Amino acid sequence: MPNIERREFLKLIGAGSVGVGAGFMLRESAKHPTEYLIPHVVAPEDFSSGIATWYNSVCSMCPAGCGISVRTREGLAKKIEGNPLHPVNQGRLCALGQAGLQVLYNPDRLTEPLRQTAERGSTSFEKITWDEGLDQVGERLDLLRAAGRGNRVALLSQGVRGHLAQLFESFMQQMGSERLLHYDFNHPHTLYAANQRFFGEDRLPYYDLQNTRLLLSFGADYLATWISPVHHSLGFGESRQGRPDIRGKFIQIEPRMSISGAAADEWIAARPGTEGFLALGLAHHIVAEGNYQGADRADWVTALADYSPSQVAEQTGLPVTTIVRLADMFVDIDPSLAIGGGAAANHSNGVDTLVAVNVLNYLVGNIGREGGLVFNPEPSGPVSRRRQASYLSMLELAEAARQGEIDVLILNSTNPVFTLPAAAEFRQALAEIPLIVSLSSFLDETTALADLILPSHTYLESWGDDFPEPGVGFSVGAVSQPVVSPLYNTRATGDIILALAQRIGASNAMPWNSMEEFLKDGWRQIYERGDAQTLAQGFDAFWISVLRAGVWGETTRRNTEFTLERSVIAGIGVQTPEFSGSEEEYPFILHPYLSPNFHDGRGANLPWMQELPDPMTSVVYGSWVEINPVTAEQLGFTEGDLVEIQSPHGTVRAPVFIFPAIMPDVIAMPIGQGHHEYGRYAKDRGVNPIEILSPQIEPVTGSLASSATRVKLVATGRRVKLVKTSGMSRDLGRDIVQTTGPTGVEVSSARPNSIPITEVTS
Amino acid sequence: MNVSIVPALKVLRPAAMLVVVVLVGLVLGYWANATFVPGTSPEQPIAFSHRIHAGENEIPCQYCHTQARRSPSAGVPSVSKCVGCHNEVATERPQIRLLLDYWANQQPIPWIKVHDLPDFVHFTHKRHVLAEIACQTCHGPVETMDRIQLTSRAIDGSTQAGHPWKMGLCLNCHRENEVENGTDCLTCHK
Amino acid sequence: MSLFSRFMDSWRKYRKPGYYDEFDYHWTMAIDLDKCTGCEACVTACQAENNIPVVGEKEMARGREMQWIRIERYWEGEFPDIKLRFIPMMCQHCDAAPCETVCPVGATYHNQDGLNAQIYNRCIGTRACAVYCPYEVRYFNYYDHHWDSPLDKQLNPDVTVRGKGVMEKCTFCIQRIRQAKDLAKDDGRRRVRDGEVQPACVQSCPSKALVFGDRKDPDSQVFKSMHDPRNYRVLEELNTDSSVFYLKKVDA
Repeated sequence: MPNIERREFLKLIGAGSVGVGAGFMLRESAKHPTEYLIPHVVAPEDFSSGIATWYNSVCSMCPAGCGISVRTREGLAKKIEGNPLHPVNQGRLCALGQAGLQVLYNPDRLTEPLRQTAERGSTSFEKITWDEGLDQVGERLDLLRAAGRGNRVALLSQGVRGHLAQLFESFMQQMGSERLLHYDFNHPHTLYAANQRFFGEDRLPYYDLQNTRLLLSFGADYLATWISPVHHSLGFGESRQGRPDIRGKFIQIEPRMSISGAAADEWIAARPGTEGFLALGLAHHIVAEGNYQGADRADWVTALADYSPSQVAEQTGLPVTTIVRLADMFVDIDPSLAIGGGAAANHSNGVDTLVAVNVLNYLVGNIGREGGLVFNPEPSGPVSRRRQASYLSMLELAEAARQGEIDVLILNSTNPVFTLPAAAEFRQALAEIPLIVSLSSFLDETTALADLILPSHTYLESWGDDFPEPGVGFSVGAVSQPVVSPLYNTRATGDIILALAQRIGASNAMPWNSMEEFLKDGWRQIYERGDAQTLAQGFDAFWISVLRAGVWGETTRRNTEFTLERSVIAGIGVQTPEFSGSEEEYPFILHPYLSPNFHDGRGANLPWMQELPDPMTSVVYGSWVEINPVTAEQLGFTEGDLVEIQSPHGTVRAPVFIFPAIMPDVIAMPIGQGHHEYGRYAKDRGVNPIEILSPQIEPVTGSLASSATRVKLVATGRRVKLVKTSGMSRDLGRDIVQTTGPTGVEVSSARPNSIPITEVTS
Repeated sequence: MNVSIVPALKVLRPAAMLVVVVLVGLVLGYWANATFVPGTSPEQPIAFSHRIHAGENEIPCQYCHTQARRSPSAGVPSVSKCVGCHNEVATERPQIRLLLDYWANQQPIPWIKVHDLPDFVHFTHKRHVLAEIACQTCHGPVETMDRIQLTSRAIDGSTQAGHPWKMGLCLNCHRENEVENGTDCLTCHK
Repeated sequence: MSLFSRFMDSWRKYRKPGYYDEFDYHWTMAIDLDKCTGCEACVTACQAENNIPVVGEKEMARGREMQWIRIERYWEGEFPDIKLRFIPMMCQHCDAAPCETVCPVGATYHNQDGLNAQIYNRCIGTRACAVYCPYEVRYFNYYDHHWDSPLDKQLNPDVTVRGKGVMEKCTFCIQRIRQAKDLAKDDGRRRVRDGEVQPACVQSCPSKALVFGDRKDPDSQVFKSMHDPRNYRVLEELNTDSSVFYLKKVDA
């Protein structure tokens, strides 16, 4: 036997044991963690493990009203796609719509009823039960109603259509209150007003992009944010390359290139606010050249006398040749279509401008024809457009609050504290309201000021419906159904309203127990209008088929005979746009635009949207201010220089982005970032340009002329790094985008891309 | 045996000796864990016996695992499925009482997963069942097991209890049966 | 010498475009730049379908984004005569892919359907493929990525969540191809019909700029698109024989 010292022996034994133990644990830790197979208690009928189930529903990320199909597995939502049967989006869906999954599964959702315990805005909340919350609101409402002071209650919602809108309507009627407002920052008030003035129709026509051969867009970013972007994109693709031997031409007139501007064949920058002059200049030329031969031609000659191309050239800053060329093109290419919106409509002369755009369509006979614009039949379901609150109505609401005329404010998923300029002093007005109740799913800036939060389901957990406006040439209705069971202790908005209705003793007028019941009741009426074949199947079968398809349409077109009132022609004309702030002190016009990623800011809490490069600039996770390269050079700014943007009504700070396609005296900022609340992904990121907008009004509609603020830029001397993907090392450069001549056969016309790899930053 | 290792020990630095002992210990410990605690047959919340159900009573596999022919996953029967029989059958046995307790409380049974594939593997029961591959080919002689146990097939086709599934199990079979694109990585890896 | 020439023979055979004597399917994508609006719906669609993590601002700033499809943008001209061109860029599934030749462990290879495959569990993270890829479309996991609960509930169970040290890239949505083949078999069909498989990006594209299908089927939409006179392939001079065809933007 070897001689080992006792001490040595013990050491070795000790080391050996440690080794064995470590080895044992190493194997143990390498094992897969225990997983469980949790069976159903009772197997459900509509899904089985391992197989995807699709539910059709309606997107509510923006007002377009696209149909969606949600893929679910094991009861969890996995993917949102467009509903192929829905005529608005035909199976396609934009980025924001697809990110709806991150609304449902957002870690910052409000999960249960809350009561603010300290002062407003402190966001210190205590949990309460639904009954406590509903009782507190219900009692107050009941007292007010009994005392005949129902008008001291206001309901402020984001724009909703369909039966939820109707439910709000009946509820407020029962309350005896007129103060029911739908508020969206970008509701096209001016477009409705222009159509009312010109066509006598207070609604939106259907723009047939698909069949048009020339689209003249005055400021409307129809491919990203204007009315129904996905439907317009479908039409754009079809018009461009969907027809043999015909390629639609697209012309965009705007001071800062948008997505639609980039897609266009020609991008024309007219002075901000003068788009209406340009449209009338075109009209003048069309009439003067004898290309309009209607009976009212003489009226037009008189009405358009002041808008000769040379006069308009002076106003718009465009050469006469361009104006004449556009006018001739608009006549020669048939069918053609003119649309207007976006920044062009957000000036003090917004309605005039959009009327002028309608004039163009009228003169070349685009109304009621294929490839032009068509008025839909009335939507088959309830709409709420007369409740859409303009900026002025919001000011009135704020004023009423300041006068102590409002006791209870109920908020539904709208965030006016974020989407109204600071000059509106809405936040301060809220302080005068004794009880603010929010039904939002997230703690946004306005909800943070609520005393009571009764959180709603997200749209993927609730029943509802939508009647998209303007539809697609016939009226369309779509039912939204829950695609997953509710994640948290939240309730559907409709159910909350019905519960409150019970508490104010309105059960007789509103006898429904749930939104689902109310919805079915409403759809029963639509069913009863149906043809014999529909009626033969019975309501239950009809309802199931609507749920399965997710959409339902009445394919009756209305005859679109249209005659123009002579008095309208006499009233045609565009006022000079008014800007807030003097040109000397504030040399730049601020062009705030809806971010395609965040819409009016509602998408800022979605991580996918934060990390999605902005289509035009490729910037992620922040705000920036776009400046023309020449202007930047004059001012000595380079990308990333932090500047102060000062308007007569406030100041924000943002880094400079050199944007080649913007007018030298215009600066642009995206809307959407700059939240002070709204969850971890949105909070304290970027700035909100709405804050510094001047309260410039479009007088006809009372809407905010959001493109009419002048600003100045003040250097801060500081720099930040703009996080972006273009110009980084992954960009290939090297002529990868090739172009060809209009016939589509010249293969050798590839041109180099002028900005290849600009700076490679580590 | 007159040779002493003491001189050798003296030559080796004691520290090196320690390292060797620790390493040998590591291997031993690892082996011991793998052999004696394989974790391929854990105790389940209810001592359900496949031997009794599939073996003695000859209930077809797909009577309970109804998903197998339709879905990538074979599926675990719902509690109501168990109770469908055990409302009547053997209601007095202690394990069945456990089951009925779950049912009475409308609680699911937290079965522990034994046959687990890594997340990067795509396997579909449907295609294999429809190709009439016997369940036992991969799952082993389930009808003889009181407590379900992971088994693996050796190259010679014999079943080895307690061995983890390896890629060879799939590939050998795909080769033998000349499965279309059966050896393309993307057929099974996702 | 004979050993060497045999080696060279098989190398040449391997390097031959389509070294499969015949592809089974030949999955191909065609992108019409005249229809693409740069809206990036495809990017989000891909992110949702393929469990692509959100890396955060800090990592984005270091150029470590993970989105498998990206939109590149190039300015042309100067104000006011200026154009912005978009081009979607993702794995081109080259039939003579530079990345495939370099992987030391064979984690990336060409399969019988014309797909450039990336097998995550085989990848050891040398990143050589990303260096060889002329299209810069391979993305490396520098970290284990994290989904704030309950965002992880959205993860697609048909796609692996890739761990640290693994290269990843566009797969033409292999899980959808697999599913379509499975359904075809259910119907007793040998082949997948045109239009039955649509990768997430193609499915979502609002202007229908993206088309996907089997180029071996002369009736397929993609066959027609790729033979459009406007067709070209990006960096064609490198002879990668890529499976993504672009249709030139028309400058009218």
